[in-house]
Amino acid sequence: MKILVPVKRVASLDDEFELRDDGRDVDPDFCEFDLNEFDEYALETAVLIKESAPEGAVEVVVLTIGPDDADDTLRKALAKGADRAIRVDDADLGDADRVAIARAIAKVAEREEPGLVLCGAQSSDFGHAQTGMSVAALLGWPRVAVVSRLDYAPGTATATVERELEGGLVERLEVETPAVLTIQLGINTPRYASLRAIKQANAKAIESLAPADLGLSAGETGGAGALSRVRRVYVPERGKSEMIEGTPAQQAARLLEIIEEVQG
Amino acid sequence: MIPSGIAPTEVTRILFQDFSLWMLLLFYAYAITAIAVFGFGVYVQVRKYRSGRPGAAFSWRQLATRLADTAKVIASHRALRRRDARTGRLHAFIFYGFTLLFIGTATITLQEDILGPLLGVNFWHGQFYLIFKLVLNFAGAGFIAGLTYMMYRRGWLRPPKLDYTRPDRTPEDADFSRERYRIEDWAFLWTLLLIGVTGFLLSGARMVWLQSEPAVWETRWWAPIGALVAAGLKGVGFTSEGAGALRMGLWWFHGVLALTFVALIPYTKAKHIVTAATSWLLKDPNALNHLPLGDLDADHIGYRTLGDVSSRYLVQADACTKCGRCHEACPARAAGYPLSPRDVILTLREQANALLGEVLPKPRAAACATPLIGLATGEYRPDTLWSCRQCGACTEICPVGVEHLPLINLLRRDMVDQGEMDSALQRTLGAIGKTGNCFNESRRKRPQWTRDLPFKIKDARKEPVEVLWFVGDYASFDPRSQKVSRAFARILHAAGIDFGILYEGETTAGNDVRRVGEEGLFQQLAEGNVETLSGCTFSRIVTTDPHSFNTLKNEYPDLGGSYQVSHASAYLKELLDAGRIAPARQLDFTVTYHDPCHLGRLNKGYDAPREVVAATGAKLVELPRSRDNSFCCGAGGGRVWVPDPPGTSKVSEIRAREAAEIEGLDVLVVNCPKCMTMLEDAVKTTGNERNFRVMELTELLAEALEADEAAPAPVPAEAHEP
Repeated sequence: MKILVPVKRVASLDDEFELRDDGRDVDPDFCEFDLNEFDEYALETAVLIKESAPEGAVEVVVLTIGPDDADDTLRKALAKGADRAIRVDDADLGDADRVAIARAIAKVAEREEPGLVLCGAQSSDFGHAQTGMSVAALLGWPRVAVVSRLDYAPGTATATVERELEGGLVERLEVETPAVLTIQLGINTPRYASLRAIKQANAKAIESLAPADLGLSAGETGGAGALSRVRRVYVPERGKSEMIEGTPAQQAARLLEIIEEVQG
Repeated sequence: MIPSGIAPTEVTRILFQDFSLWMLLLFYAYAITAIAVFGFGVYVQVRKYRSGRPGAAFSWRQLATRLADTAKVIASHRALRRRDARTGRLHAFIFYGFTLLFIGTATITLQEDILGPLLGVNFWHGQFYLIFKLVLNFAGAGFIAGLTYMMYRRGWLRPPKLDYTRPDRTPEDADFSRERYRIEDWAFLWTLLLIGVTGFLLSGARMVWLQSEPAVWETRWWAPIGALVAAGLKGVGFTSEGAGALRMGLWWFHGVLALTFVALIPYTKAKHIVTAATSWLLKDPNALNHLPLGDLDADHIGYRTLGDVSSRYLVQADACTKCGRCHEACPARAAGYPLSPRDVILTLREQANALLGEVLPKPRAAACATPLIGLATGEYRPDTLWSCRQCGACTEICPVGVEHLPLINLLRRDMVDQGEMDSALQRTLGAIGKTGNCFNESRRKRPQWTRDLPFKIKDARKEPVEVLWFVGDYASFDPRSQKVSRAFARILHAAGIDFGILYEGETTAGNDVRRVGEEGLFQQLAEGNVETLSGCTFSRIVTTDPHSFNTLKNEYPDLGGSYQVSHASAYLKELLDAGRIAPARQLDFTVTYHDPCHLGRLNKGYDAPREVVAATGAKLVELPRSRDNSFCCGAGGGRVWVPDPPGTSKVSEIRAREAAEIEGLDVLVVNCPKCMTMLEDAVKTTGNERNFRVMELTELLAEALEADEAAPAPVPAEAHEP
């Protein structure tokens, strides 16, 4: 049985940064990149299932969509216990949104036929929380979002999952497999990947695929496959505020002044 | 010397006098058996040591130097006298007593069993015999005096360090009890004491027995203690005949006990006679400041199983005499953490003895595969290993050359590889891997502390500099330490030094990453810095951070970077000596100086900082524990990144209270950004904030260099209010 774990290489911003010339994203020179924290929990969930099963019964496959810079992210995942890594390189990636990314993930899932697809609940940089759900929709598989507990014996037809709701409530669901689950932070304690393990993971091959290899047409990838497009990323102007002090009469006078100012 | 009328050849001791043949045969049979049991024991122990991995290559060229050093240390008892002078001296009594008595017995064997029968050479009589007796009487007296003192010490003085209670176990644990060691200690002392005392009794009994022979009786005062015993025996009414019977009984008791002792040497604590010396001989002179280079391509790293442990540590485990100096010196132990360096070494000893040191060996492969770390009986608990600050206090004071520090580090390497660590530590290592600093700040922010300077520091990556200043993480990012960095920069600038920094190009030197046990990340950081430095032109490196200083100086050469590295305090001392900086005024402070482990104990940088303090005019009062006995601030070994668990006192608070004991203290001078962080905090949490302040040495000097009249008061003004 396989577990597919799609992972993302996320950016974190410096205190001071500049935007890209086209104004649609941050200049990557001002970012530090790392494996998405939510995905670390999803990966750990998969590796724990693997470790609880007999040797060789479960294979954990990690997948990312992106340029070869993202190989570091996959190596880290391999060092943390994934068995195999796939990267789908989409030349038109810049304009891909969650749905376009999900199309590629779904194709890989169709090819790999995993028992579970475990995604992070969201990415720490954009936070849409849509990729996993889109994958499930494209595959037509059962899906549960923001899972905080998972009981699953490899090979069985169902998994039991729990979600945390408002007011301390817990919702327990049974879900048929194959299914797509998005994993919440705190479900476990992700292990540390020592640098030695990451270096040794360098020896493992990363399978690199083009969208065409997966049977994706040009209209399904990148901007063409997306349902949304980023128009602009910007820092909004700070709002102005002023504490009006003085006697009620003085305050009223100042308020009037401001109203007139704003009315122009 | 010899009374007239007695032939010198008569003045001797006839061995086995009046023994029948069967007695003689019985004795030799027992002696040969004892030596065989001893020999087999040596074989078993050597087999055990050889099951370890060969360690770092032992240079035969150094052998002569090492032998000489070992001989000197043993002869002078220098290591044994440290911090416990009386015990060391009394041990010397036992040591020299035992050695002389051993040489004496060996001389008799040489004469009686080898030279006499084979070559007909006989020398054990006459004047030589009398002097021999005198010397051995003194040796025996010293031997007994030393043993008696040790019994008095164990039974009456009971120093806390000889209490073997394990901080890493609770009484419910199967391996909590140290009762066997206590029994062994006493059995060891009693056995030796009985051998010594019966020797004198035997000597006296023989004199009374042979009182009619002038060759014996007239020369008896050459064995003064034997003669006193003889007088006593006669006084209580022993006749020659009675004394003869007593002599026969004592002879067998003494002989059998002594031979039994010899036979048991390899199986008991008596083996330290050999193992302590061997351990010292094999000791790595750089064990404190240079950790072994890990092979990242091996199938695992560090010590996971007993089979991973290098032979040197197996020998050291047997060298330990449980003297407790390491236990006493350990800051983690003092603060209530579940670590005693003594138990670290004894745990290894117990596992090695149980699995590799059996008389009938167990299958070696299985024994070697025994895990070392875990929660089972006999295993190192992760909490214990994580308590260590890698401050080196244990290793530095050990009188038999046990190297706890690298051993703990090698065990940690496996835990890191397995991901067995505190989540805070895991986050920090993750951050260092990502950003190259432990503050999880962007690389770009590293040089931001320079912005407030009225001048621009050279970029050593772009232009040649005389002095390359390796700033380090804390000095770059920690707001308190940034002030110190700016003070240091101003001093160098004012002195006209041609210096530069690496700006964004610097990453953490990795000293503490390595001490945590993340060897792979350390090597990556070091290789990165070596590559950056190889693109720069400079003649020397200076750093204010003792941790960076240590690894750059001692560990970077393994990774291709050999530099002349100085700590800021030594460099400032140079500038003072050369007259390039000169104090404009004398400070009227009472200060004390806290030696940072990485500068002091690890690199013997004790004097330069004190000379800089002296140059400021401040009055230096030493802390009770200073120089090699300095007490860690608690930050080392990566512990600065791990919060102290509830229920433990902070190591730093112990140190802050120690400083607070100094009367009229104005300033606790530190010399390391991490000590600054820990101790400034501890001064606040111990309620001493109003009593004295914490300053870096650089700041103290900067204050003395300023010709400013309106110098800030040493203590915050409110402290003087009622």
